[in-house]
Amino acid sequence: MISLSDIPSRSTVRHWVPIAVLALALAFAPWWLPTVGLYQYLGIEITIWMIFALGFNLLFGYAGLHSFGHGAYLGIGAYAFGLFQQQVAVSLWGGLAAAIFAAGLAGAVVGAFISHRRGIYYALLTIAFGQVFWFTSMKLHGITGGEDGLLGIPRPPLTFFGLEFSLRDNLALFYLSAFCLLATVLILWRLVHSPFGRVLQALRQNETRARFAGYEVWRFKWAAFVISAMFAGLAGGLFSMAQQSAYPDVMSLHQSGLIVMMVLVGGGLVSFWGPVFGVILYFVTRDVLGGITETWLLWFGLMFMAMVILRPEGLAGMFHLAWNRLRGARAVSTPLTSEPDLAGRKT
Amino acid sequence: MVDLLPHILNGLTLGLLFALIALGFTMIVGVMEIINLAHGSLFALGAYFALSMLGGSWFGDTAFGAWWLSLSVETRYVAALFVGPLLAAIAGMALELCLRPTYRKAPLYGLLLTFGAALVIEEIIRLGWGTGEQNLAIPSAINGPVLVAGFIYSKYKFFAAGFSLLAIVAVWLFLEKTPYGAIIKAGAHDSEMVRALGYDLSKLRLLVFGFGAALAGLAGIVMVPIWGLRPHVGVDVVIPAFLIIVMGGIGSFWGAVAAALMVGLAVGITGAYAGAWATMSMYILLIVVVGFRSRGLFGRKSVLEN
Repeated sequence: MISLSDIPSRSTVRHWVPIAVLALALAFAPWWLPTVGLYQYLGIEITIWMIFALGFNLLFGYAGLHSFGHGAYLGIGAYAFGLFQQQVAVSLWGGLAAAIFAAGLAGAVVGAFISHRRGIYYALLTIAFGQVFWFTSMKLHGITGGEDGLLGIPRPPLTFFGLEFSLRDNLALFYLSAFCLLATVLILWRLVHSPFGRVLQALRQNETRARFAGYEVWRFKWAAFVISAMFAGLAGGLFSMAQQSAYPDVMSLHQSGLIVMMVLVGGGLVSFWGPVFGVILYFVTRDVLGGITETWLLWFGLMFMAMVILRPEGLAGMFHLAWNRLRGARAVSTPLTSEPDLAGRKT
Repeated sequence: MVDLLPHILNGLTLGLLFALIALGFTMIVGVMEIINLAHGSLFALGAYFALSMLGGSWFGDTAFGAWWLSLSVETRYVAALFVGPLLAAIAGMALELCLRPTYRKAPLYGLLLTFGAALVIEEIIRLGWGTGEQNLAIPSAINGPVLVAGFIYSKYKFFAAGFSLLAIVAVWLFLEKTPYGAIIKAGAHDSEMVRALGYDLSKLRLLVFGFGAALAGLAGIVMVPIWGLRPHVGVDVVIPAFLIIVMGGIGSFWGAVAAALMVGLAVGITGAYAGAWATMSMYILLIVVVGFRSRGLFGRKSVLEN
């Protein structure tokens, strides 16, 4: 099986190519989405979950830290955004900053508790903290509105150097979240290819050895957790704008499990772009299968099980193998190259 | 202190029930080092099978169904106590067969696969039995109120607690006093050596998984009249079970029982002062315990840490 570490630091494929493809796809989404039978709101949902999934994969795929309670930080971001609009001021940038800050703060506190733990104990503590946040959001009626959540969160207008755009329209909100997604991609891309990102990958491969190499392991684990919680917070802020509400359901174990499934099915363990594929697959499956049968989660679950058994490297890994086979067919003279290539070049 | 007594008693009963749920879980973790997130779903399956057997909803129209429903509730209940876990065990064995390709990989894959299985089983339950909340009929002999020291208790809670206690002791005797238990414990300790001694390791794993699933199903039948039966009851159950085995230390029998009693007491006593926050107390307890003892109360080193 191939893994993330098989990505060489200088890839032969120019790294801006996939980013440019993503940017173009996003820019023209309002035209091609309806053509393939989808709708604009789905674009918003997909971009928001992509931000969440990409940030999550820094922790899950790169650092190999299995958080099963990450929905909590999305929820905290959503509540922080809503509370900022309702209690402080109606402001887009203020709200998003509050969402990122609140999720980052929660992540920092939780991270301090769990960063000395490993393996299953780490996973379990993330579940426990996730449940604590979920429970708190349901029980603190005065602040969070209990099980109904915060309702009627406004979509504040986008102000930018004196210019003002309304975000009431789904199209405008889509462009805002697409912009946030591109920023997320650029930041995370830089981050995972920086020395910091290398250390995270070293942690995943062998935490003990990384410690012997002189890294203060828990600080890196803590930082990865906080950064990933902050991106979840950003996604949460956008989510509460999209839904115009914030409710405890997004913090439940179910949602936290879904993000793990999306990232894994997409191939987050082997590629930076895995979470992107996974999110697209999930939402398209939901809409297409959901239109045919009410039990689409059954089929998605079965697909997930088959994937874990047969192709744990996910969609991205399958694309990678197919691409190599295609190239191997072109370079007829050297059939042996396909094997080293398997561990070699990655986009 | 007197008014705390009923809550402590409540907590202890709850703790014994939790211990019964955690038993199967800790067995599977001990022998196979797999966190079976579908454990709660097997629990639910056991209870739903019992529901069908008591109500005869699947075969009520046949001649066999007519004969079956003419039997007394007690007979049907006792039969369900045997057949429900058996069917859950078959489902568990099927799951174990699916798990085989993941054994050579990181423990994460086993966890993810069982997470997927939990989702699938929950959807199957929705398809087969509907989405609503249902009630498991229990014989009147163990139903109804009972007066203890001036307080009214449900008779069923005592039955459930006593049943759990019996099951715990039986499983302990099985593990400690029979040759089969010795092989299972040896498999948990050093699977290579067990194979070298000529035991079929894959058969052992299949049987242990089936046994763990049967215990889950049994716990489901006993517990559900108290907790209510709904398709997502599996998720409500697997998390406490998971908490308990980690708190008790992975692979430790008495650690799991002690942790279950602690969790039960914490929930019971918190319930006395702040009912809404009762469930939360178990998470706080876990964070405190694992915060101080990184391997739980009686844990030993395990591959699951890597």
